[in-house]
Amino acid sequence: MSQYSPKIDVLLLLEGTFPFVSGGVSSWVNQIICGFPELKFGVIFLGSRRQDYGEMKYAIPSNVVHMETHYLHDTPAPPPIREHKGDPEVFKTVAAAHSYCQYSHTPGKMEDAYTAMLDQLIDGRLSLDTFLHSKESWDYTCEQYRARSTDPSFVDYFWTVRAMHVPIWMLKDIAANAPPARIYHTISTGYAGLLGTLLKRRTGQPLLLTEHGIYTKERKIDLFQSEWIKDNRNIFQRESTQISYFRHIWIRFFEVLGLSCYHSADYIVALYEINRQRQIHDGAPPDRTRNIPNGVDFDKLSLLREERPVATPKVLGLIGRVVPIKDIKTFIRAMRTVINQIPEAEAWIAGPDDEAPEYAEECRNLVTSLGLTDRVKFLGFQNIDELLPKIGLLVLSSISEALPLALLEGFAAGVPAISTDVGSCRQLIEGFGAEDQALGAAGRVVGVADPQALAAAAISLLDDETRWKSAQTAGIARVERYYTHEHMFSAYRALYQEALAQSRQQEAS
Amino acid sequence: MAGIGFELRKLLKKESYLGLLQAYSYAGIISSGPWILSIVGVLLIGFFSLSVVIPRVAVQQFQVSVTYLLATSLIVTGPLQLAFTRYVADRLFEKKDDMIVPNFLGAQLVTLLIAGGLGTILFFTLFRDMGVFYRLLMLAAFVQLCLIWIATIFLSGMKRYTAIVWVFALGYGTTVAAALLLRPWGLEGLLSGFVFGHYLMLCGLWFLILQHYPIKFFIDFDFLRHHRMFHSLIWTGLFYNLGIWFDKLLFWYAPETSHAIIGPLRASPIYDLPIFLAYLSIIPGMAVFLVRIETDFVEFYERFYRAVREGASLEMIESLRNEMVFTIRQGLAEIVKIQGITILVVFALGKLLLNWLGMSELYQQLLYIDLIAAGLQMVFLAILNIFFYLDKRRLVVLLTGIFVVSNAVLTSVSIAIGPSWYGYGFALSLLLSVCAGMVFLSDKLEKLEYETFMLQ
Repeated sequence: MSQYSPKIDVLLLLEGTFPFVSGGVSSWVNQIICGFPELKFGVIFLGSRRQDYGEMKYAIPSNVVHMETHYLHDTPAPPPIREHKGDPEVFKTVAAAHSYCQYSHTPGKMEDAYTAMLDQLIDGRLSLDTFLHSKESWDYTCEQYRARSTDPSFVDYFWTVRAMHVPIWMLKDIAANAPPARIYHTISTGYAGLLGTLLKRRTGQPLLLTEHGIYTKERKIDLFQSEWIKDNRNIFQRESTQISYFRHIWIRFFEVLGLSCYHSADYIVALYEINRQRQIHDGAPPDRTRNIPNGVDFDKLSLLREERPVATPKVLGLIGRVVPIKDIKTFIRAMRTVINQIPEAEAWIAGPDDEAPEYAEECRNLVTSLGLTDRVKFLGFQNIDELLPKIGLLVLSSISEALPLALLEGFAAGVPAISTDVGSCRQLIEGFGAEDQALGAAGRVVGVADPQALAAAAISLLDDETRWKSAQTAGIARVERYYTHEHMFSAYRALYQEALAQSRQQEAS
Repeated sequence: MAGIGFELRKLLKKESYLGLLQAYSYAGIISSGPWILSIVGVLLIGFFSLSVVIPRVAVQQFQVSVTYLLATSLIVTGPLQLAFTRYVADRLFEKKDDMIVPNFLGAQLVTLLIAGGLGTILFFTLFRDMGVFYRLLMLAAFVQLCLIWIATIFLSGMKRYTAIVWVFALGYGTTVAAALLLRPWGLEGLLSGFVFGHYLMLCGLWFLILQHYPIKFFIDFDFLRHHRMFHSLIWTGLFYNLGIWFDKLLFWYAPETSHAIIGPLRASPIYDLPIFLAYLSIIPGMAVFLVRIETDFVEFYERFYRAVREGASLEMIESLRNEMVFTIRQGLAEIVKIQGITILVVFALGKLLLNWLGMSELYQQLLYIDLIAAGLQMVFLAILNIFFYLDKRRLVVLLTGIFVVSNAVLTSVSIAIGPSWYGYGFALSLLLSVCAGMVFLSDKLEKLEYETFMLQ
């Protein structure tokens, strides 16, 4: 029996979320911590730079017994410059591990070379000093540049590789100094995922991974849009089908971080089925994956059904920020058709419009030019408790969503929905699996950016009271069955218990 | 000597032998440096005065006095020479031209105080038995020389090498003329000419500097502030100048090789004459070195660092590195070739030359070894210069340190084991320093990209 008696039950590894950034994931973290008062939590927050974050946005719950913050892009003082050769053995492993990352991704199992490299990282043989200053490191960098870089600029290649790898040693130090804990729970792959991988490798304690989005995919979008990544190919070297090499290696870097986290995690949680499939596609061993969707407060929202008028209001509500990703314009265009058919119909857009003022302005202009000024209303931020009873149909025209709580809240409050086929929306509306699907459809799913289909679906529901009623019934039943707080907490309770049991077993052996 | 390359390249672009010749002469004149001019000047004065000045010993006293003046002023200002050069270059790089003149005046004041202080102490101690007029002239000449070396550095900073050469030519022309004119007054007369010529030179340098740089405020001591000058360069300047003079000092004060000339000043006629003659032989080598370094090497050096900064491919960076190494190898090879030819010529003409100069043939052996030593000193200087370009300041300190120590030790040994070994100490010490420099250079160039990227 070891002397391992950690004060912390669950050490949360959080990258850019709770408690410094408000948003869906942060609220979820807060919910989880508060939902398990009997467990002691620790928090390791990883940020980019200190100045990117203000005050804490959440009060730290009392069962958080440990909290530390680290900023990966606030580069600490580098080790003193020292010319040295470097250990050829270490770089042999590094080369093997990298060629594994570059070529073959064996699902399910981490390559020996990769784990050997992690071990060298952990035991200090592969030190930051070695990476930054050794001749071996230089030779390997040059070799890789010669063999692989399609971008001519060596200096940019060199600094890209440095910028990419330096945070790894910060994470290594964070892992070395982390307080003992029974289980590690990371809320994303990426840097936090790597920290989880390192912690798991050091202590052998179970690692949980919950992914709300798919980190690697989101990073890819960031990287495609980022201006700071240089592309030095000239017009003859550039091929429009090929992305810039530096973008390419950044993407692969995050893919590998994701992969190593999938391989080390004992439990991998997705919010919904499509994401779980995506995790498996990206290398997660299928038998370790599961879905635990977010939940809503079903009992409280059910009370709102009492406040609904007898006749279904012909109001289409879109609850969300007025930003391009929500594709508000498609909704507005669809409203033209809806009003042609149902003249008394109205559209309410409830959500702050200050995030993308230009887009909001464009939306207003579109409303005017379609002659919908008195039918389409921008309400700003609204309390859903007051709003939902007055709405006949929830609309989600987004081009990207994960697990939109607005839909679930609407269902619980008795409002069916029409949504684009993104994220979990089909699963929420039509059900996933035979049992779920048997509950019926809680609305309609339409294609992205298809105002005609959206309008047709809306009309078909609003015009037919029976259809509307059955959709409402299906929605209520689905939320009650699968998407309540209780459901989410009990799933996590079971998960934590399983992991804690595994941890205890580990201690006993 | 950045900037000189531009002029040289312009001359070389003419692509004619005349252009090439012009480039080499230009380089030869500029690079041979003030100390060659001084040697020529002093030798000339002596040569023309031998028959006139009575007693003959006064000529020797004059030459020895001036040699001491040069040696001590160079050693005293040595620590500041390179450090100031870098200080000026850095300020110009920062586009802070208006800091040059105030700091120049500050540096001149500090030099004046230190040189004046040192000179005054010697005035009342070692030289107290000498005539007042002689002492005053020596003090004036010493302070002037120190000021001139520092002023030359500030003027080099603005890359007006031609102007410097003209000022020096004017100064030494006047020195020789005035000294010859005043030679009837013996030692004091010759020295007065020296002081007058240098006074003109100092005025000329001051004029050029004050005229060229903007003057915003009067005087500043920014250069004295912590970290404004590189300590490594201070040590290098001291070691290099000390290294160059150490064997001479040892010969001057070893009883078996020297005798008293005037007051506390001793000389070693047997050692001094051949070595100063030998120094004249390095003018061609200097010229070649300057042309090679300032044109070919600097061109690839600049292209190499531009390639690093502006994102060239690794192949490009490496090929420019190789070109750079090639130009260095070529430059050093050319120095060796030219010095080799010069040495062979002097070897062949050795006896004739000595007879013509009215020197004993006993000097021949020493002259030969000194020729080789001077050639090696040229190569050593070239290597140091390349290290300055590569900004390997600590290596330069190490190399000049090796030079000082080995020169001191080996020269002492050579004095101890007898006259047939005289000169070998100096030559061997330079050989050692050159070999060490070559090894370091090869090592550094081998790892140039690695060090440029990983260790900076």
